[in-house]
Amino acid sequence: MQLKRKPVGATLAAATCSLLGSLPAVAQEAKAWSVDSSLLYYGEDNGRVKDLSLMASIRRALDEDRSLSATLTVDSLTGATPNGAVPAGVPQTFTGPSGGGSYTVAPGAQPLDTTFLDTRVALAANWQQALGTAMRWNVGLSASHEYDYLHLGLNARLERDFNQRNTTVFLGAAYGQDEIKPVGGVPVGLSPMAGEIDDGTDRGRAGDDTKDVADILIGVTQVLTRRSLLEVAYSYGQSDGYLTDPYKILSVVDPVSGAPVASTEDGIDFQYLYEHRPDSRTKQSLFAEWRYAFDRDSLALNVRLMDDDWGVQSQTAEARYRWNINERSYLEPHLRWYSQGAADFYRTVLFEGDPLPAFATADYRLGDLDAYTIGAKYGRRTAHGEFSVRLEYYQQSATESPGAAVGALAGFDLTPDLKAVIVQFGYKFDF
Amino acid sequence: MSCTRQMSPCAGSRSSRSLAAVMLAAGIACAAALAGCAGVEPWERDLHARADMKADAHDAAIDDHIYFSKEASSGGRSFAGGGCGCN
Repeated sequence: MQLKRKPVGATLAAATCSLLGSLPAVAQEAKAWSVDSSLLYYGEDNGRVKDLSLMASIRRALDEDRSLSATLTVDSLTGATPNGAVPAGVPQTFTGPSGGGSYTVAPGAQPLDTTFLDTRVALAANWQQALGTAMRWNVGLSASHEYDYLHLGLNARLERDFNQRNTTVFLGAAYGQDEIKPVGGVPVGLSPMAGEIDDGTDRGRAGDDTKDVADILIGVTQVLTRRSLLEVAYSYGQSDGYLTDPYKILSVVDPVSGAPVASTEDGIDFQYLYEHRPDSRTKQSLFAEWRYAFDRDSLALNVRLMDDDWGVQSQTAEARYRWNINERSYLEPHLRWYSQGAADFYRTVLFEGDPLPAFATADYRLGDLDAYTIGAKYGRRTAHGEFSVRLEYYQQSATESPGAAVGALAGFDLTPDLKAVIVQFGYKFDF
Repeated sequence: MSCTRQMSPCAGSRSSRSLAAVMLAAGIACAAALAGCAGVEPWERDLHARADMKADAHDAAIDDHIYFSKEASSGGRSFAGGGCGCN
């Protein structure tokens, strides 16, 4: 459908060029192409995750009403990530995801999966077009690939201006279909981790799995005064399918001593169960952002409230102050605060002798946690484009589930703080 | 000015415990704030046209990806999405 409109656009563009024929050609072509690129380093402390990410977006404005954009992202992830087990007074050996390797964690140390390594390539394309003078729509495609994960998605958004363009209402929808292909297959939820096996058996694993994610978004942007603007958005998301992390486990410990319980499986010392999450999740969130323009600077404040049917509730607040130092450079300090409550089935450990729950995870990302980010971005415009550098510090403090720190576990830090540095270099230009 | 004052219920509601009630109250308060705002004439919107009065979509996408990987929440401003095996 869109392709049929192209000749009309070309005709209009030609007509516009004829009308504006007396203007310098440079002025007409100056903003046809826009490029926004960045190189990001994200590094956690204590040998945990490090990500080097390159992201480049290119946008082609075909005319005033239509544009096409594409974004390529390449992530290179290395480091170690918590596997969900708790520290113990003795060395613990875990089987690698493939079943053909293992790693050992020292007494008292947080168990980290050192086999974590990934490269992610993501592509997105988006078409935006005006529909008359007061409406716009855009439609996009997204795809990303990791060696154990594939995502394909579609999204669309419609915007309509009212009230002399002081009010803009928007409505969006997105649908994604993901395929999860863990090394060694998807483990059966709450099944025991087996020892290292080289015989090629499937060890009770179920091959690959899938999940579907659908989102809708509805919101309004309102010009409040000559200087201020408010955006409010409500979103609703539904995920169905395999929502468990196939690499995360839980420790089974003695309810009095807190010591790990001996395994009945061959080739592994202690009992660890693969985590298991429900196969559907419904999320909703309310987002509000207020922006205020001073004569020179500007301020943006936003809040987000989120809850889901897993029992997670979260609150996020962010502030950015844009200090326009002069016409060419700016400094933008940034603060972010985040707090979430644990999912109903989050538990730091499982106790021997307790009935097995229907669902359980020890993934700290579904536990009680607070986080903050502090940083700043500096940007400088040149004759050719704009350079920027962003430096931020992120810290997360999690809390174990109530009653988890029994016996010897009380002497360990079951949820060590996560500290990360974010460094981003950016360059954007039009041509 | 009156619009700025009416906006405060949106920003002040985050500490409440019942999230559903908070969302409803915030939605009503924001709707009331929006409804109470008189139009700003097109020639008065020069400050809104400044680039720093819009969110940086590139940085927002990067931040969404980082926080999606490390926290249980995602989206809000845009789609909650996914497209990553990191969570």
